[in-house]
Amino acid sequence: MRWGLLAAALVASPVAAGVVYSAAAATGLAGFDPRGFSTDRLSRVLGEPAVWESLAWTVRTASLATLLASALAVLVAMTFRRGRGVDRLARTLAVLPLPVPHLVAATTAVLLLAQSGLLSRLGFAAGWLAGPADMPPLVYDRGGLGLVLTLTWKELPFLALVATTLLATRGAALEETARGLGAGPWDTFRLVTWPLLWRGLLPSIVAVFAFAAGSYEAAAMLAPSDPLALPLLTLERYTDPDLARRGDAFVLVLVGLMLTGAAVGLHEWVRYRTTELPG
Amino acid sequence: MSSVLRAGRTAGLLCLGLSALLPMLLLAIWSVGDSWFYPALWPSRLTAESWRALLSGEGRLWAAAVTSMLLAAGTGAMACIVALPVGRALARLDGWRRHLGAALTFLPVAAPPVALATGLQFSFLSLGLGGRPIGVLLAHAVPAVAYVSLYFTGVFAGFDARVEEEARSLGASAGQTFWFITLPLLRRPLAEGFALGFLISWSQMPLTLLIGGGAVRTLPIEVFAFVEAGQDRIAATGALVLLVPALVALAAARLAASRTEVAAV
Amino acid sequence: MSLAKASCGRSSTPQPRDLARAPWDSLASGARGTTVTWRMWRGDPSINAYVDRWVSPRVLQRYGINLNAVEGQGPEIVNQLQVEKEAGAGGTADLVWINGETFHQLRQADLLYGPWSGRLPHAAWVDSASPIISRDFEQDPAGYESPWGTVQFALIYDSARTPAPPRSYAELREWILAHPGRFTHDQAFAGITFLKQLMYALGGGVERFQGGFHEELYRTSSNRVWRWLEEVRPSLWRRGGSYPPGVAELHRLFANGEVDFTMSNNQNEVVTKVAQGIFPATARALLLGDGTIANAHFLGIPANAPNPAGAMVVADFLLSPEAQLEKARSTVWGDGTVLAVDRLPGPWARRFAELARDPRALSRDSLARYARPEVAPEYHERLARDWRSRIRRGGS
Repeated sequence: MRWGLLAAALVASPVAAGVVYSAAAATGLAGFDPRGFSTDRLSRVLGEPAVWESLAWTVRTASLATLLASALAVLVAMTFRRGRGVDRLARTLAVLPLPVPHLVAATTAVLLLAQSGLLSRLGFAAGWLAGPADMPPLVYDRGGLGLVLTLTWKELPFLALVATTLLATRGAALEETARGLGAGPWDTFRLVTWPLLWRGLLPSIVAVFAFAAGSYEAAAMLAPSDPLALPLLTLERYTDPDLARRGDAFVLVLVGLMLTGAAVGLHEWVRYRTTELPG
Repeated sequence: MSSVLRAGRTAGLLCLGLSALLPMLLLAIWSVGDSWFYPALWPSRLTAESWRALLSGEGRLWAAAVTSMLLAAGTGAMACIVALPVGRALARLDGWRRHLGAALTFLPVAAPPVALATGLQFSFLSLGLGGRPIGVLLAHAVPAVAYVSLYFTGVFAGFDARVEEEARSLGASAGQTFWFITLPLLRRPLAEGFALGFLISWSQMPLTLLIGGGAVRTLPIEVFAFVEAGQDRIAATGALVLLVPALVALAAARLAASRTEVAAV
Repeated sequence: MSLAKASCGRSSTPQPRDLARAPWDSLASGARGTTVTWRMWRGDPSINAYVDRWVSPRVLQRYGINLNAVEGQGPEIVNQLQVEKEAGAGGTADLVWINGETFHQLRQADLLYGPWSGRLPHAAWVDSASPIISRDFEQDPAGYESPWGTVQFALIYDSARTPAPPRSYAELREWILAHPGRFTHDQAFAGITFLKQLMYALGGGVERFQGGFHEELYRTSSNRVWRWLEEVRPSLWRRGGSYPPGVAELHRLFANGEVDFTMSNNQNEVVTKVAQGIFPATARALLLGDGTIANAHFLGIPANAPNPAGAMVVADFLLSPEAQLEKARSTVWGDGTVLAVDRLPGPWARRFAELARDPRALSRDSLARYARPEVAPEYHERLARDWRSRIRRGGS
């Protein structure tokens, strides 16, 4: 019994080491320029509006992508749930991009979504757009729409996989029972299918949010210069020409890891609620 | 109603097909496209130069692909070896302990790679692991071990330990039981765990960059360098190579799934 | 294979102190059979081809040295060496490609080995009379870096799209206001160099900025830069609310007609990029009459380099007339030589004079006429930092 927690702690220990070192470096106990304990750096960096804008922008972008991917995953799972034929093909296609690295997804997104990308060229050829400026900006755009679309595309396969598995395993039997008890199609969906999907997907949704918020490659290639996505701001500070400012990065590392910690906590809490507690 | 539904299904299928295949098609064209400027829908010239360089091994993509392959295989193997006992121990927990264990294990998976790499760079370098393949391997193993441990936890949750007990009661040693009973039963999960660890290492970038210090040249590092230098043709070629093991792993998993009739997916 | 290569040849390298006294020949023969890891920007296939296919085999054949060129730009190099120093870790790079602010930071933090560059046999032919080569952002290299090549900043435009491009910063301003959305600069080195030239132009010429960093002068002239930028901001690409991350992304915007200009720290980049099919054939380089920044780039040896002797041998080969001539060909790289060509032995001087010139390349005369030196690195660092907080963050 105890071995389990010990093993888990061992697996998590590199993160703990990272937190400890970053905390030490952020408070002047370690890092490029250790001058003894002080919270000056912490309060200075956390007092910068740019840092909070960066965090808010990253959370917003990741949330949007997660919501979009979840909705699409449910749609795919519900629309193509029969065992064979077209449905099977559709599910295979939905899951196909699952192992595509973020780097490849982002590279492709630039070539596809830029104002002079393939979509814009198709629009031009069709006579809908008169030039690159007519294409809505999706790359380096302040709203981060291109990044949201790319992350959605990247995370959809995983959520679609979970959703289709849920429906095929537990869903089928439960719905059968409901129908046997006389429930109509709408009631079956409302009372059985939807709660099952929602609860079953929730932990994966939280996990996907964490992945989306932490992705560096996609942000580096698609995100705007202002507000700067959190991973980009972290690396920009880590390589700042002013050596004294490099330590700022460790404060941002702590912010990033805190966001992760919150997501992981939420993830497990949701799983705890849905698996251990009745109703 | 049903004709609307059918039209919707067809449109959905079309969208899924486009979303899965268009990116690969686009990369394939870019990898041979020369002087391909807006608003041309097709490159004005085609050249196989980047592929020739890749296959003749004189460019840097080939060496990087070999490095990536070795690192990913090493990470996959290491992840399986470590995650097997961890997953088993985790699966034996119950109640809140199970969730605490899972949460701890999930941390390295969910941590932003940039934050993880920045936080770990000092420790790795002071251990003499910086700039060396072994250091990068260990760094990749941090998220990979965690991910595969979670996967094995699920496997062991549905694992029937009575088979092992029976073998033991028939006089088999612990080692014999593991080699002749447990391992064969776990062949498929092990293969999948390996694939999982492999893919995590294969697509990793920030950890490689900061721990490897540029000296360990993996495929994502090279592809990113080419993208950042505007060399789209070479980058697209590398990106396609990055897709190969990913697709092979997925195909193998689907094949195994259909063979064992777990047609849930 | 490449895994094994990166970590071999490390154990029995001589200590730096012995190196300073050892005669060159024994130093070179001691480096035989070792590996030199060279951290450099690896994003240009032309440069990579020169290093991998021309330099590497010669270095191996003549000096028995395995050259391993790996990725890494200025800020990453500083960062890596800094963390290595703090962690007390052995080094991973023997040779680094640096200049200006990177050199400044490395020297400040005492991360470079030296002095060593005066020991190179080929250093005798270096054009030390040229202020661009003998100074690096006004800093005295003091033997801690060896010059490798020279470049000059240029704007790049498409002669088919923009037959009459602006020729000065004043004309550029008018052009930007008359063509909304068609101009921007990147956030990295080239973009900041562009701003630094703008600062020279608005601040009364480069002469006023020479002789170290002056806070007061910086403040007044950078304020002029910010005012200039705020005035044209609504007419910049994306209304000045977003900027491409690096110059390569700006190249992509330019090549596809999203903007009408890009820029480069190397006046010859337009030649290689047209040859690579990345720019349209009608792309041309352009020097603004206010003057454009010319600078040299250098090779340094990290203080913790495992193989400084091997690094010196490689740096010396790179300084040889043969290696400098090959690099200067516009079909190879088009990087300017740091040698005093007229002092070279007969045939070499002739070969340099005979270098074929690409019709797209700028003439040597106009390059020389408009060349302006770099100033103290603090100007670059402060402009970069203040641009980020004042202009980049102020958009809408």
